[in-house]
Amino acid sequence: MIRNHRVLTVFLISSMFLLFAPSGAHSSVPLDLYKFLPLSGEVGEWERNDQPQDYRGEDLYEYINGGAEIYHEYGFNRVIVQDFRNKSGKSISVEIFEMEDSESAYGIYTFKTHLEDKKLSLGSDAQLSDYYLNFWKANVLVTITGFDEDEETIEGLQELARAVEAKMKLNGEKPHLVSVLPKKELITTSIKYFEGNLGLYNSYSFFARDIFSLEKGIKGDYESGYSVYFIQSKNGEVGQKRFDEIKRDFEGSPRYKNFNSLEKELFMVEDRKSKRIFISYFKDSILIVMGAIPSHQVKEIFSSIQENIGK
Amino acid sequence: MAKKIGRREFVKSTAKIGISAVLGGSVISQFSCSQAGMCDIAVASGEDYLKNTIKAVELHGGMMKFVKKGSKVAILPNTQSRHPGTFTNPDIVRAVIRTCKEAGAAEVNCLSWLTPKHWADTGLDKAVQEEGANLKLIERDDEALYTPVPIPGGIALKQAQIMNEFFNNDVFIDMPVTKDHAGNKFTGTLKNLMGLNYRVNNRTFHKEGWRTEQSAIEHLDQCIADLNTVVKPTLCVVDATEFITTNGPFGPGKLLKPQKVIAGTDRVAIDAYCATLWGLEARDIIMINKAYEHKLGQIDLQKVKIQEIKA
Repeated sequence: MIRNHRVLTVFLISSMFLLFAPSGAHSSVPLDLYKFLPLSGEVGEWERNDQPQDYRGEDLYEYINGGAEIYHEYGFNRVIVQDFRNKSGKSISVEIFEMEDSESAYGIYTFKTHLEDKKLSLGSDAQLSDYYLNFWKANVLVTITGFDEDEETIEGLQELARAVEAKMKLNGEKPHLVSVLPKKELITTSIKYFEGNLGLYNSYSFFARDIFSLEKGIKGDYESGYSVYFIQSKNGEVGQKRFDEIKRDFEGSPRYKNFNSLEKELFMVEDRKSKRIFISYFKDSILIVMGAIPSHQVKEIFSSIQENIGK
Repeated sequence: MAKKIGRREFVKSTAKIGISAVLGGSVISQFSCSQAGMCDIAVASGEDYLKNTIKAVELHGGMMKFVKKGSKVAILPNTQSRHPGTFTNPDIVRAVIRTCKEAGAAEVNCLSWLTPKHWADTGLDKAVQEEGANLKLIERDDEALYTPVPIPGGIALKQAQIMNEFFNNDVFIDMPVTKDHAGNKFTGTLKNLMGLNYRVNNRTFHKEGWRTEQSAIEHLDQCIADLNTVVKPTLCVVDATEFITTNGPFGPGKLLKPQKVIAGTDRVAIDAYCATLWGLEARDIIMINKAYEHKLGQIDLQKVKIQEIKA
């Protein structure tokens, strides 16, 4: 009898968890991506053109020849691609990427979007660029591409995006690292979330080797013209010894000049383009501010980050 | 007529004396741009991309310097993706085919292991057909259609597998579009040569499981540089008219439109120059550095004679 009660309790707790857990946010439940594709006639004059393509896991190399690594770094499961065409012969391609989890989808979304994009109210986040748009929701990234910048095409992109989004009954959260970035003056379209070295390398190549032992990281640009990087180390606490090693790497590198050890836990260098780079550490993370900014303001930014970590 | 490089001879000579005995090597040394007191890199800019191409090649000595009467010419445009700014502009391909024929080429052969759809989607099949060139699409998965080529000076790659069809030509013109590349940060003349190599061999450039730690990036870049030691283009004509500067190589990404076409033979110098078009420095791009270490060209643009004209 007691055993039956325990089984019932476990069942009820599990059911409650399933009821309130974000659906589709994890790879353990594969999504039916085809359900998200609009049918011909559902979106104005846009008709499906050709059969959809479908690539899973390693097969992404077949589709994105030469560019698959970054998707795998973030955690890629599958993509389907469907072309649409309208009566005037315009084409639009809809790509629906199922990533491993919400963090993966958010990460590749930030990789593919640009500071100058226009924000749209769609999914968890959406940005419209000159001839394409991206949005993410739960563990799904949707990229919709036109092949010109005509008004008709841009309207079509947004109509198709709204139709896809309406079919996605999913929820997912942004990575907690996003909240670490100080909010004042943050340009939200500039945020990049890193889940590996390649993402960081594409944002700024500090060194040819991974001196920060990056586990995860985030970067944001600010209206005053500086950027903030927060890089979590996979080796746990950074500590003064490892920080001194990083300091020596910068000091000895021909890529950087005007090294200045401002404090025990803070130094500054300039890169080849004379951009100032301030570097410090806190617990398991490296804190970086880049740009023309006085050192007292850098300290305020670092304090703000530390406060955000504590929240 | 220029000397045809037979498959057997290529393998033998490559194995014997390495990088000096490769396709087009004799043509390059005979018509060295700097030896003739001309520019190392010729750049033509303007809205008419066909005209830019003709002018850039003229500035570099004219097509007749590279293509002898009755010779067979292999060209390698990039047609990896249909997204704007990710494939070689059809007008540039038209201009190269046209000038090769005017120089007296017996045949112009467009080589690729990509699918007919890639060529149709980019409009390149139409350009090739209308200009009277041959589109030779090689079955990508049939290893018998690719010739093993030892790489004596290879550090990471010891053997390439070049498509057999390549060896039926006397002249080779490398025709990439320069653009962003998530894996290498940049792509241009050096990386484009992967388009001649057997796909399964190319896959070994990337680490198993698509790992992206620094050593994996360096491995990819080293393999590309190694491949370039045994395949030397007679001429490079690079599309820098409209290209993506983010989310490469597949796109969609942010478009930059410098409207330039570049002609030259020094792959390292050309790639170093193209990198500057969107604010990159060759020294920060591992692939270009590795090619420079192989003595494939000049990385220091201060030492390169660049001539630019408005077409």
